[in-house]
Amino acid sequence: MAPNRSNDKTALIVHPDMTAVSSLQNTFVKNEITAIVARDLPTALLAITQHFFDVVVVSSRISEEGDGWTLGGVIRLVFPKAFVLMIAPGTDLITLKNAINHGIDEVLEGTASPEQIVSTTLRSPAIAGKRHATPKERIQ
Amino acid sequence: MARKKKSLLIVDDEVNVTRTLQMVFEDEGYSVTPAYSCAEALKLMKNGHLFDGVITDLNMERDDIGLTVARRALELKPQPVVVICTGFANMSNARQALLMHVHYLATKPVELDELKSNLRRLIAIKDSGQKAGR
Repeated sequence: MAPNRSNDKTALIVHPDMTAVSSLQNTFVKNEITAIVARDLPTALLAITQHFFDVVVVSSRISEEGDGWTLGGVIRLVFPKAFVLMIAPGTDLITLKNAINHGIDEVLEGTASPEQIVSTTLRSPAIAGKRHATPKERIQ
Repeated sequence: MARKKKSLLIVDDEVNVTRTLQMVFEDEGYSVTPAYSCAEALKLMKNGHLFDGVITDLNMERDDIGLTVARRALELKPQPVVVICTGFANMSNARQALLMHVHYLATKPVELDELKSNLRRLIAIKDSGQKAGR
């Protein structure tokens, strides 16, 4: 089924931790962004077939080790204009390399607060309206 | 009808590296233009050469000058796939590459099969997007 597009901004949060998911969802809603949540890979994959997302926040630790990066790459292909933010255990060189090679827009450490994560997405072109092309969009 | 070869610009000040990559990618069916400095690469891009992919080293005339090649390549229309291939990746230059939306970062010693398959994949995505009129 083709994803539906509405005028409202919609975020997808993919994170295995219930507390993190809940805090992020509340913070997005406070900023008038609808937030849909998924705590595992199958739910996330189902969500991307049913909704259009402007912003996606993914934990690199979803399901099996490394699945978060693969999911990020899939999301980049499905939603070329979305802002994709990865939450990773650290932002070392390997993490940055993974981010570039999966078409991720930004990486934040797991210690980042929900406010910090949401404010980063609010500054993104996908939400702020002054969009720059994302990696896959640019090559298209 | 014969299919037009995909074109690559390969930028590295180490002649042996450039020639090896040129040989590898020509063997894969690409048409390869070598450049041995940032200045030479910028001149080629300024002269209206169109490339499907640009693979650039980082440290040439000076450290991280390959980011200048990448930045310029990302401004081209149609935009090529931009790959940084370096033995000197660090937090600073990788972060800059992420923010400017470089398509791929390969660290030396390069895993050639991985580089070849990812370049092929990224160029195919670009082609499918162009055919769809996106």
